[in-house]
Amino acid sequence: MAKQVGIDKWMFASTLVLVALGVVMVFSASAVMAGERFGSPYHFLLRQLGWVLAGLAAMAVIMNIDYRRWKHPGIVFTLLGITTLLLVAVFFLDRSHNTHRWVKLGAMSFQPSELAKPALILFLAFFLENRTRMIDDWRHTLLPAVIPAALFAILIVKQPDLGTAIVCLGITAAIFYIAGVRLRYFAYAAIPLIPALYILLFHVGWRRDRMLAFLNPWADPQGKGFHIIQSLIAVGTGGLTGIGLMEGKQKLFYLPEPHTDFIYAVASEELGLIGAIIIVALFSIFAWRGFRTALRTRDTFGRYLATGITTMIVLQAFFNISVVLALLPTKGITLPFISYGGTSVFVMLASVGVLLNITQQTE
Amino acid sequence: MPKTRSANPNTRLYILAGFLFFWFLAICIRLVWVQVVDYAFFSKQALKQQQRSIEVSPVRGYIYDRNGNQLAGSMAVDSVFAVPSEIPDTHSTAGILARILRADATEIENRLNASHAFAWVARKVDNQTSSRIRALNLKGIYFQKESKRFYPKHELAAQVLGYVGLDDEGLGGIEREYESRLKGKPGTMLISMDAKRRWFGRVEKNPDLGENVVLTIDEKIQYIAERELEQAMHDTQAEAGTIIVQNPHTGEVLALANRPTFDPNVFRIPNVQALKNRAVSDVYEPGSTFKVVTLAAAIEEKLTNPDEVIDCQMGSIIVNGLRIHDHHPYGGLTVAQILQHSSDVGAIKIALRLGEERFDRYIRAFGFGSQTGIELPGETRGLTRPVSRWSKVSIGAISMGQEIGVSPVQLISMISTIANDGVYVPSRIVMGTTAPRSTAQLVAFHPMEGKRVISPMTAAQMKHMMENVVLNGTGKSAILNGYSTAGKTGTAQKTDPATGRYSKSHYIASFSGFAPVNNPAVTVLVVLDSPVGLHEGGQVAAPVFSRVAQQVLAYLNVTHDVDLQDPRWLLLRAKVKPEDVAEGAAEQIITIAEAGPPGQPEAPAAPPTSDARLMAAAYKQTAASQAPAPQPAETAGTVAPVAPVRANGTVVLDVAGGVVVPDFTGKPLRAALEEAQALGIELEVSGSGVARSQSPAAGSKIPHGGHVSVRFGR
Repeated sequence: MAKQVGIDKWMFASTLVLVALGVVMVFSASAVMAGERFGSPYHFLLRQLGWVLAGLAAMAVIMNIDYRRWKHPGIVFTLLGITTLLLVAVFFLDRSHNTHRWVKLGAMSFQPSELAKPALILFLAFFLENRTRMIDDWRHTLLPAVIPAALFAILIVKQPDLGTAIVCLGITAAIFYIAGVRLRYFAYAAIPLIPALYILLFHVGWRRDRMLAFLNPWADPQGKGFHIIQSLIAVGTGGLTGIGLMEGKQKLFYLPEPHTDFIYAVASEELGLIGAIIIVALFSIFAWRGFRTALRTRDTFGRYLATGITTMIVLQAFFNISVVLALLPTKGITLPFISYGGTSVFVMLASVGVLLNITQQTE
Repeated sequence: MPKTRSANPNTRLYILAGFLFFWFLAICIRLVWVQVVDYAFFSKQALKQQQRSIEVSPVRGYIYDRNGNQLAGSMAVDSVFAVPSEIPDTHSTAGILARILRADATEIENRLNASHAFAWVARKVDNQTSSRIRALNLKGIYFQKESKRFYPKHELAAQVLGYVGLDDEGLGGIEREYESRLKGKPGTMLISMDAKRRWFGRVEKNPDLGENVVLTIDEKIQYIAERELEQAMHDTQAEAGTIIVQNPHTGEVLALANRPTFDPNVFRIPNVQALKNRAVSDVYEPGSTFKVVTLAAAIEEKLTNPDEVIDCQMGSIIVNGLRIHDHHPYGGLTVAQILQHSSDVGAIKIALRLGEERFDRYIRAFGFGSQTGIELPGETRGLTRPVSRWSKVSIGAISMGQEIGVSPVQLISMISTIANDGVYVPSRIVMGTTAPRSTAQLVAFHPMEGKRVISPMTAAQMKHMMENVVLNGTGKSAILNGYSTAGKTGTAQKTDPATGRYSKSHYIASFSGFAPVNNPAVTVLVVLDSPVGLHEGGQVAAPVFSRVAQQVLAYLNVTHDVDLQDPRWLLLRAKVKPEDVAEGAAEQIITIAEAGPPGQPEAPAAPPTSDARLMAAAYKQTAASQAPAPQPAETAGTVAPVAPVRANGTVVLDVAGGVVVPDFTGKPLRAALEEAQALGIELEVSGSGVARSQSPAAGSKIPHGGHVSVRFGR
């Protein structure tokens, strides 16, 4: 049925371009700060480069492994179990940046929440594949499918990392939607989620500040509105063609996390409107090819997997960019492929490897 | 559920993709909005928060002498600035800095508290201070190299070079005149700030260097002039003095020295008088030096010749009903002798031949009444009234250098005109400019065209007559060994600002001349303001001229044009008796003659009056004793009132009772000397500072010319 075709070159190329751009931007955004904090401007560049190479190697291997081989309870539940374990384990490990996000293994550190996203996708694709006919059976299908998602979301919110939690829920919703879950179930899900989100957003001091700042950043430009304004100043300064690679000023301690959450602001400042749109366009090409793959796969598992992985990457990318552009309130969320973060880029590339394998087996 | 499946399994995928597509569009619109529409707004915001630019003073161009010797340079010094946000405790930091800088701690603290990102702590501190601050390694205290003016030769040509203010702005002399060229363009220090208003780096736009200015001054000649002027100031206790050395053919000033002077390196200059460049800004009555103009004009107009004998009327002449006395009664003198003896009556009679209009034309042709154009600030035009405002006696007064104010540089230009065979060449002190960082490729300023004032023949005759002044007349002390010398003495009474009359004790003694006579290499002017004791130009200025010119000619390797004399002969010449060279300031005194026709209602106000004979008598006494001229006892003050004068012009001096010795204690040397001179006694001086003890004691009587020993101390 599914026949061997070449891998999707559009997807492959856009991924490589984004990753390459990411390495350059990580260096540009972090050089000064790394020089000051670690004594070497290459501190972040070298680490990112290492992870990218490892990620590309993983992608190259995985894209040659038939994606159906992942459809094995042993693999799915082991991955789910390990992820849960790690997500719980972070609470008993050292705090860094006042958060529990990292697991340190020797010299390497690892972010289990990044693993949670593909683990969830794999689980949902596996679990829902054979339940399409009873998709609206909430006791046998919906509830068991939602439990890992809800568990991950709660654990990740507790880290606290609301952004990644929202992405997890978004991926889950997208797969449920594609799987044909009736819309009213989404409404039912919203009943507990909306108050929870409200409490999380407005009753946790700093998130409340962020929300208020998002609604009117200029009310307190030196305080609550500072990050948003700095981000907009960075983007705005870029103009049409940008002020030149490495020339950005806003990364010099104005932007919070210039090499991670706000790397898109640095890119916009240095590369201008042209560069900024190219980046969004590359993610859009990725989305186009991802959904095209989902459409062309007769295999429901592959369809859910493709939808999940594409959504994971593009949703997170658009989410991040929207935060930078002050279209959404500030959330700690990274830009896939581009932001500094070893776990993220490795897991994302490995996931793209799976997706690329699916593209080889479309109609 | 089959319903959902069968409807269209792909619809929801399209909807999901469509949702993301609209999100994509929203992002693009937002990007255009922020990056294109609001670009200007955000750029402004960015600059506002990221940078502050602070001006860094440029490296000022250097000033060189004609041989490329540095007269003014710039050196890099540290300026201390603070990034107050990095300072843990501004109060204690300000205290520490204030102690090292000897400044007010509260003031520094206020400055530190005024800004988060930047504050100057001290500009241009010396190396010792900056290294002391550096050694403390204070948090938030940084150093910026700035350029500071320095003058390696200190007082040398101080008024020519001028000085600069704290920001290296030229405030006097060449520094001010060439400010725009020397200044260069200031650089900028960009203080970039981070989110916490911390300073984290700086980008500098280096300041552009200023152009260099090359002067016509020759450092060696300047040094000779400075040294000899210093010596003359010491010998004569004059209040002020000027020496100019000029190349008469090009108008280039080779040396220009003034006293009092200052060290331009010292920022606080105690004596404002020292800053004045008297050579260009002072106006004085030239006295009989001006007879050169009178005679040159008359000879040029063929109204007389050097050999014509003129009746000097035994020292008295009536000009337009006003009688003018000469300092010495002369009978018939040739024109040359008139200059030689500096006869006033002779000069007046020659001037009367010229007539007012023609005389005035020559005065202006010689450059009086207008700026010479020398490249120095504050040049005066002098005081030359138009003919329409001349009084009836003005022509007489001006013919002998009264009722006219000239600057030293105007006067030397006139003398140089004679030396330069009658062609007036504007004086200049700047040779040109060179580009930054190089002394090569001089952009020379072309000298202005000279203009002929008198014919070469007249000039030659004047030269010869002026040589005669040195050989046989009032300028004997100016003689040079191995060089023919020409010149003219001048002695003028200063106008007492308190009374508006001529002062009895303050003279301006001058000598101007050139050598060798036939092809002059240099013109030299020596002006001494208020010498104490001897005050005749021929007595005090001519020897200085001689010393300066002798050394300068030797330095310039000018070939001897007369035989070298035995030094002993020169020594003898140097001991010229004062009366031999006395032309007498008294010559310059005009009295209203009682013989004046009474029916002259419009008789103009004559210049301040006195009696010629008074002064003549004084010189006689001076000559007899080689001592300062005695003056009436009641004129002891430096600003002497008019002496008691009888109608017939003789003075009664009470010499019989001798002099009561005054109390000198507590007085400075100069005041003591003046007082002694006024009383007609001599001081034997030892030490320096103010008078501490004297012998004989105050109140005792000694004869005129007697000695009083005064010991000075600090």
